[in-house]
Amino acid sequence: MDVIVQILASGLTMGAMYAISTIGLALVYGSLNMLNMSHGALLALGGYICYFAMSHLGLHPVLGLIAAMLVCGLVGLGIYYVAAQPMLRSANFETQIFIATIGIGAIIENVILRLFGPQPTAQPLNLPGALVIGTVHIPNQNLLILGVALGLMAALAYLLQRTRLGRAIRATAQNREAAQLMGVRVGVVYAQVLALSGGLAAISGVMVSSLSSLLPNMGGDPMLKAFIICVVAGLGNVYGAVAAAIVLGLLEAFAQYMLGVRYSFAILLLLVIAVLIWRPYGLFGRRQVVRL
Amino acid sequence: MSALLTLQNVTAGYGSQTVLREISLTIAEGGLTAIIGPNGHGKTTLLRAISGLLPLRAGSISLGGLNLTGLRPDEIVAAGIIHVPQGDMLFPEMTVIENLLMGAYLPEAAAESAMRLEQVFALLPKLKERRNQVASTLSGGERRMVGIGRGLMGGGRLLMLDEPSLGLAPIVIDQIYDVIGELAAAGQSILVVEENAARVADKASLITLLDNGHLVWTGQGAELMARPEILETYLGA
Amino acid sequence: MTIRRDLLIGLGLALLVALLPAVIGMRYVLTQATLFFIWGIVVLQWNLVLGIGGIFSLAQMALFAVGAYATAMLGYYFAMPMVLAMPLAALITVVVSTLVGLACLRLKGPYVALLTLAVAQVLYLLIVNDTECFTNPSSGCMPLFGGVRGFTRFGDLGFRDLFGAKWYVANYYLGLVLLCLAAAFSIAIIRGPMGLAFQALRDNPGCAMARGVSRFKYQLWIFALSAFFTGLAGSFYAVHFAAVGPTAFSITTLLFLLSMIVVGGIGTVWGPLLGALLLMLADETMREFGDWRDIGLGVILAGFVILLPKGVLGSLQGLVQRLRRARPS
Repeated sequence: MDVIVQILASGLTMGAMYAISTIGLALVYGSLNMLNMSHGALLALGGYICYFAMSHLGLHPVLGLIAAMLVCGLVGLGIYYVAAQPMLRSANFETQIFIATIGIGAIIENVILRLFGPQPTAQPLNLPGALVIGTVHIPNQNLLILGVALGLMAALAYLLQRTRLGRAIRATAQNREAAQLMGVRVGVVYAQVLALSGGLAAISGVMVSSLSSLLPNMGGDPMLKAFIICVVAGLGNVYGAVAAAIVLGLLEAFAQYMLGVRYSFAILLLLVIAVLIWRPYGLFGRRQVVRL
Repeated sequence: MSALLTLQNVTAGYGSQTVLREISLTIAEGGLTAIIGPNGHGKTTLLRAISGLLPLRAGSISLGGLNLTGLRPDEIVAAGIIHVPQGDMLFPEMTVIENLLMGAYLPEAAAESAMRLEQVFALLPKLKERRNQVASTLSGGERRMVGIGRGLMGGGRLLMLDEPSLGLAPIVIDQIYDVIGELAAAGQSILVVEENAARVADKASLITLLDNGHLVWTGQGAELMARPEILETYLGA
Repeated sequence: MTIRRDLLIGLGLALLVALLPAVIGMRYVLTQATLFFIWGIVVLQWNLVLGIGGIFSLAQMALFAVGAYATAMLGYYFAMPMVLAMPLAALITVVVSTLVGLACLRLKGPYVALLTLAVAQVLYLLIVNDTECFTNPSSGCMPLFGGVRGFTRFGDLGFRDLFGAKWYVANYYLGLVLLCLAAAFSIAIIRGPMGLAFQALRDNPGCAMARGVSRFKYQLWIFALSAFFTGLAGSFYAVHFAAVGPTAFSITTLLFLLSMIVVGGIGTVWGPLLGALLLMLADETMREFGDWRDIGLGVILAGFVILLPKGVLGSLQGLVQRLRRARPS
């Protein structure tokens, strides 16, 4: 019984963490058809900015987190104006932006490496202590992550469903030209989406690094998992991505317990391939009918 | 009647292809104007050029004295030109009412959205029944109505409809054109693109014929129907 | 039509390059040139997959590693002579690539990219995380796939015995021969029926599919066939450096090779080789700024895609065409 609770607790934490790193990606893909390969680097950047703000500038943790979100949001904005916007009209936009963001990710990661060095560093934003129920031990940091994830998802759902910006984002994602004809300035919406996704990446990076540690290339693994989650859910489907993240977190916790850390990722991947052969556009993805 | 929309020597196209060649056209305030012509001769391109989706190669466009040349689509919407595109282009995952409200996205339109929604529901009662249904589950005729209703929500000075009869059953086409006729009679300026001259001949105050990127004939609907040789030459009817 | 021209260009270049050791005999230059041949093979095949087949595969370095690992393991565990192990390793790569293709190619565009990247990552993790000893030689514990340290001392082609200290010249020529074969294969694909089929799928997918051109079938063919030379390049890499390790999967190498294709011109016949040459020369000059190398690579990759998406060769071709059109014939 206790084992199950423990697996559930760590699975939910992992799922929540995946969800935070996934929603930014899903949002950007859903609106622009852009796979942002620099998302992992943004995660690392967020983690390091928070660390820098707290340890070197002595800022309050909340301020550190806000600083990280601001910097990553600005970098997201920069990525839009420098890379995405100039090629938006190109026929090969998806391929080009994919390659361009691989390059941008490498730049960001190596700038971090230059500035902070290759050694693992502890993330100062970390709640000590743990919640003990019987023999089950749940670190407070995990609870914090769960809370942050829930809060973020509620905020995002509110933003998408209830606000003018949210309606513009959804409209642009569903039909870019129609949105333009409604008076939506899609360029501005895109820029806002990338800024938002940068901010989300920052939070995700702080959370991920608080469980392991800061490394310049720490974003690679969560990004790959986030991509897998996006693919399983159907690229661009934000709500599906959250559901898939939590399911995958639980599955991974379970696989880790049963089979060990070594094979959990491989099994996850086999599962994903199986899902995609069964449903090539993801579990919740729309099959896009291409009119020739 | 004063001029509402004025096109002067509008030239536009895609890639190395020029689709529209030096189109000049004036549309008066109020009433229905129809652009007819065979498929692939630039009717849709003309509407896309007017609404700013396609940049002009040359020429100018103005609305009631306001120069629209080179403006972004959202600025042109704000100026008062509402383009209801071909094939509806609804937001498939939004409900009917969400789609309609997107039509009133700009602040000026949003301020009047409650009033306009009443008007749209009065004109297209079917939409009121279906208000909470997701757009992608609607029938073709219902979708077309949502598209037109969404256009009306913008409260534009000029409503441009791109082939509102496309792909619909004859009985539904009649319903759609009844609605368009009602709107025109109520004083809404409408520019409609249509392949079949007979559908618009009795309703339009002005018909213009687009052939291979050129405007080749402009006149009254009755006049056109009385000249079978024109229909024969350009439309093969 | 132009297949003859391409083959002639290739032959001329190959003859020129074959004379290099007579002019510059420096070992460093020749080993770097050999490395250029290896990367040249890989990018030519990757270009087939990416630029011609339209498959956004990020598993190319993993396939390269499969070829390298297969060679090392055949030599290490079965003491197979390298002359046999190399072609066998290339065939094994084809099998692996067919499996990966079957799993991934039913999907489109970005899905393929992500899945192939994930496949590569899983292979890497399985190798690196493997700590169980498969055998226990005198040098210590040896996991089945070599673990973090990888394989060394799995045999060689015998060039050291044949040519003594000049063995690297033999490697140079072997690399050149392999590159020529890979280039001929690439030209045959691009200018042959398969290239035409992909052209048709790009230009008018509806018409092509209606006439029985199956995208999946052709993509699987090009993905599987091109893996032969990718695997062979990996195999030759293992033999040339007499070592294989998980660094074969490194993201930096992936970035480096992708940049070659992008800089040279995606989908062109000679672009990838030109890109490989330019980037290796650039890398050589950037060596002094060692720490900034990866940043430089990122800037080159992103800069080219944003400013010159067709690459050096693609843009030149476009320019020539425009000049020709401007001059009325």
